[in-house]
Amino acid sequence: MAKSKKVRKINIIDTTMRNGEKTAGVVFSKHEKIRIAKMLDETGIPEIEVGTPGLGGVETDMIKAVLKANLSSRLYAYCNAEIEDIKTTAGIGVKNVVINLSTSDIHLKKLYKENRTWLVNRLREVMRVANKLDLKFIISAEDATRTDLEFLLKIISLSKKKGAERFRICDTVSKFDPFRTFMIISTIKNTIDFPIEVYNHNDFGMATANGMAAIRGGAESIVVSVGGLGDGTGNAAMEEIVMALKYLENVELGIETTKFREIAEYVAKASSRAVPVWKAIVGTNVFAHESGIHADGVIKNPKNYEVFNPAEVGLTRQLVVGKHSGSHTILHKFKEYDIDLTDKEANDILVLTRAMSVDLKRPLFDKELMYIYNEYKSKSKKGTEKEEVNS
Amino acid sequence: MTELDLLTDFSQKAGVTIDPKDIKLDDTTLRDGEQTAGVVFANDEKIYIAKMLDKVGVHQIEAGIPAMGGDEKDAIKKIAGLNLNCSVLAWNRPVKSDIQASVDCGVDAVALSISSSDIHIEHKLQKSREWVLETMKAGVDFAKSHNLYVSVNAEDASRSDMEFLLQFARTAKDAGADRLRYCDTLGILDPFETFLRVKNIIDIMGVDMEMHTHNDFGMAIANAIAGIKAGAIYVNTTINGLGERAGNAAFEELVMALKYVEGVDLGFNTNLFRNLSEYVARVSSRVLPTWKPIVGGNLFVYEDEDKVKGILADPVTYELFKETDVGLERQYVLGKYSGISSITHKMDMLGVKVDKKQAKELVEIIRKKTVASKRALFDIEILDTYKEYKDKSKTVKYGKGKDK
Repeated sequence: MAKSKKVRKINIIDTTMRNGEKTAGVVFSKHEKIRIAKMLDETGIPEIEVGTPGLGGVETDMIKAVLKANLSSRLYAYCNAEIEDIKTTAGIGVKNVVINLSTSDIHLKKLYKENRTWLVNRLREVMRVANKLDLKFIISAEDATRTDLEFLLKIISLSKKKGAERFRICDTVSKFDPFRTFMIISTIKNTIDFPIEVYNHNDFGMATANGMAAIRGGAESIVVSVGGLGDGTGNAAMEEIVMALKYLENVELGIETTKFREIAEYVAKASSRAVPVWKAIVGTNVFAHESGIHADGVIKNPKNYEVFNPAEVGLTRQLVVGKHSGSHTILHKFKEYDIDLTDKEANDILVLTRAMSVDLKRPLFDKELMYIYNEYKSKSKKGTEKEEVNS
Repeated sequence: MTELDLLTDFSQKAGVTIDPKDIKLDDTTLRDGEQTAGVVFANDEKIYIAKMLDKVGVHQIEAGIPAMGGDEKDAIKKIAGLNLNCSVLAWNRPVKSDIQASVDCGVDAVALSISSSDIHIEHKLQKSREWVLETMKAGVDFAKSHNLYVSVNAEDASRSDMEFLLQFARTAKDAGADRLRYCDTLGILDPFETFLRVKNIIDIMGVDMEMHTHNDFGMAIANAIAGIKAGAIYVNTTINGLGERAGNAAFEELVMALKYVEGVDLGFNTNLFRNLSEYVARVSSRVLPTWKPIVGGNLFVYEDEDKVKGILADPVTYELFKETDVGLERQYVLGKYSGISSITHKMDMLGVKVDKKQAKELVEIIRKKTVASKRALFDIEILDTYKEYKDKSKTVKYGKGKDK
């Protein structure tokens, strides 16, 4: 089959605290930043982007606090390709930096109002300073997916030559699908022997798939964030990438996945959001089954409709009784309350629950099921009594 | 196909031209969307969604499951009677009574769904492969005798033995089915696997194929596109990706990805997307997350200084499509990541002119305020902040004058 069984080492770098916080309207407190960093560290995320020292003041304070937290994850700060920014970053004691600059002609022309020569010179200059300050650095090419490939290769070679640790390809405007991602990344990997990292946006819902395609194409590292939190529509979600690597690519990262739900919830709360019930991997609906066919399948064998056990990501399985439930779900649900229904009873109750659920426009609470059951029982009892009287 | 062949093939499909006329969307918000645990639509809501989808330009609507009877059957009957431009399809098990219920509803197309994976055949159906083929064939025969367009759905196709799946496809085709729906029921494929498997079936069987993908690993859209690249001509979508567990391929995401990433313009009325998404979110008792791709709104909310600079210079720096294309608005907010340009612009929008020095000082003040309140500032707070700042700088000037 197509799946590669080779054991590969893939690096994960989490940017929840940097690009995640950059999301319009999201602000973390110092306490929250430290907590998020600790949770990521405990989970076993190898690298974390902690913030943007160039913002100064409050941000510097938070970054320093995270640096002091004694984490085993490698910590990175993020800066623009400006000498001042890099000096500031080194000044607060950060050892690893991501140096970002845009490489596309569109950005050069419209954003920087400069040309490619300027960009190459600027890159040389910032790398010289970073080396002088003894910083380990990643060069990040913003809008790389709209950059002329030949020019991009030139920039990558230069970064390699000047001692960058690896090179980040940013799909800033979500220009790529998995096909193009794969083609471009494998072309780069075939041309230059240098570690490549990818950074994807989710504007068309393909961040995770593009990340996986890049890994297939030979990329060694991927930028993720918890719940996909990030500017605009966000980034590749940490939990999706880790689980997809594990279950679809057989790459085991040794990450403590049982904490995923907890982290997702914490980050959501700290960013004044809710984890949607349908969020892939960590949403509560992922393991909730209502439809007759599906619930029946899950009751018979969870493997029928589940790829991994809910406990693996800190969730629990739920059987929901609603419009699409079948009699097997009813039987099973009542068994949870030590009530053994006959097939006829289950079918009768199914008619009642379906009607009520349509009426209420939602599934039923367990308590409502009990009301239905009690009413049904008392009615059928009366029915029997009547029959007895009549006979 | 060897791994190398697959990868070469996969690579070559990047940038390949697809004729928009060849691609059709079959939206299943009303069937798989409603099947989501906790979601129930009222009949009027179903009818409204069907009308909206038709107005947007969808090719086919999967309206529901007639075999459920009662209200569900009534709704499907009504939708089939709306005289929409699109085709109306009903979902069935390949059972005579199910299909008869569909016939009663007056739909023009049916999906006949049956599992093709051994794991489902053994554990769920508790039958044999032969039984599956016979049942499916009998279903197609019966539906065809009523002149219906037939989609045969291979449920759990992604966990099915390829040889059996080919046999399944052959049986469906020979029986006269119009297309085969490839269901990645558990959402366990990635674009590579999807491409390989779908291409295999199309190459060998030459059947029309439809993609039904799930988002369990966040890859529903990418897998649908991989299916199209492999030659599938139908995609089964839902508005907002509403569907069981993590949901399905989102209608609005697929349409826009096809248009702006793949260059396949289906000619849909995309400016209705936000309205449609909001409506479906409401009637399914969900909120539309601000970060939802295409229709969430956050894509066009700008706070970061560099991005604001770019957008002001030319939106093409950070946008592949316009906010109005999907019925949204562009917004600027001030927060921790704002800088001189973004503050100057925002103040200008609020009717206040500030110079560079003032903007620089305001950046610091606003940054502190946002961190303290843990959110972006409201317009009224920005104006208040400005007023405070102005008053303060006046006092300082006055004080200085006095000292002299």
